[in-house]
Amino acid sequence: MTTYSRVKQTLVSLKSAKATLERYSILSQDQTARKSFQRNADQLQPIIDRLQKRIKHMELEEPQYKGY
Amino acid sequence: MPEWLETTIRSFSFLVLLLILTRALGRKMAARMTFFEIAYVIVLGMITGAISIQLVDLVNGIFAFLTWGLIGIALSFLSLKSKMVRDAIHGREAVVIKNGKVLEEQLRRVRYTPEDLLQQLRNKQIFSLADVEFAVMESNGEINALIKSNRQPITPQHLGVETAPVTGVQTVILDGTIMDEPLTTMGLNRGWLRGELEKIGVSPENVFIAQVDSMGELYIDLFDDALQIPKPTTRQLLLNSLEQAKADLETYAIDTDDPKSKQMYQRCAEELSSIIYDVRHLLK
Repeated sequence: MTTYSRVKQTLVSLKSAKATLERYSILSQDQTARKSFQRNADQLQPIIDRLQKRIKHMELEEPQYKGY
Repeated sequence: MPEWLETTIRSFSFLVLLLILTRALGRKMAARMTFFEIAYVIVLGMITGAISIQLVDLVNGIFAFLTWGLIGIALSFLSLKSKMVRDAIHGREAVVIKNGKVLEEQLRRVRYTPEDLLQQLRNKQIFSLADVEFAVMESNGEINALIKSNRQPITPQHLGVETAPVTGVQTVILDGTIMDEPLTTMGLNRGWLRGELEKIGVSPENVFIAQVDSMGELYIDLFDDALQIPKPTTRQLLLNSLEQAKADLETYAIDTDDPKSKQMYQRCAEELSSIIYDVRHLLK
């Protein structure tokens, strides 16, 4: 497995984790738990953004990866 | 009217009357009976019994029954309204151990021998008087004790551990039928439930009991006990995937040669670890 595909995999799993956190922030009955989930889901976003940027960069450097 | 018929009629009608009266008296009486309440109930039962087997004259009996019954209802209402009436009828609770010392004066006042006190404490799994900081005798004669703080069982708070809040669990399926009201109080609907059950691979008719916790996780018990169903693990999985991602990011930071992206990966890993720290107690 290339680094490129591994980074992409991590990105996908982080995205899914963010979605799950957001789901919990809606489902959870407790107010503090709700806020905590929402806050952490929001904090995941910059990490996802940075990884996305990194992936774009990798695609630019090595165009043969694109699309995988 | 033959005597047996009269007995039957009396018995039946006073049975119904007694049922209505005990309902009107409220539920508290059965929960914790004080001395007065026990005596009251016995007298009421005696009157009813005496009337139904014709020990007393019907008119006299009815008047006795009504007097006791109405006064009982009145007292139960008054004691709701006024503290004074409450104290007069039910008695006040008495402090029998304070700062670890037995108050003999109070014990004498409530007619308690030291043996009684020790026995009551043993009932509460307290065998040594030295462990008791404070004890109160309730108005129904029961003793409740607060044990010294260094003898109290450890709670998560003592350990400084944060725990996920446990709010009510709602039962959403009983005996194969979906309950709509609990579902809506959780903000869910039948469609969601069907979807969750489909994920596990069971149909609603096969479910004996299904409960949803505050995080929207479903626990089910099937009619067929031989079937193995997956346990709810979404929370654990989420925590695992976050930790996996963190480990991956750290690996990339080591693998990459570019100092700028190295730094970027490291920062991401650090942020992720603070997120994990924050949600860990909610996902356990």
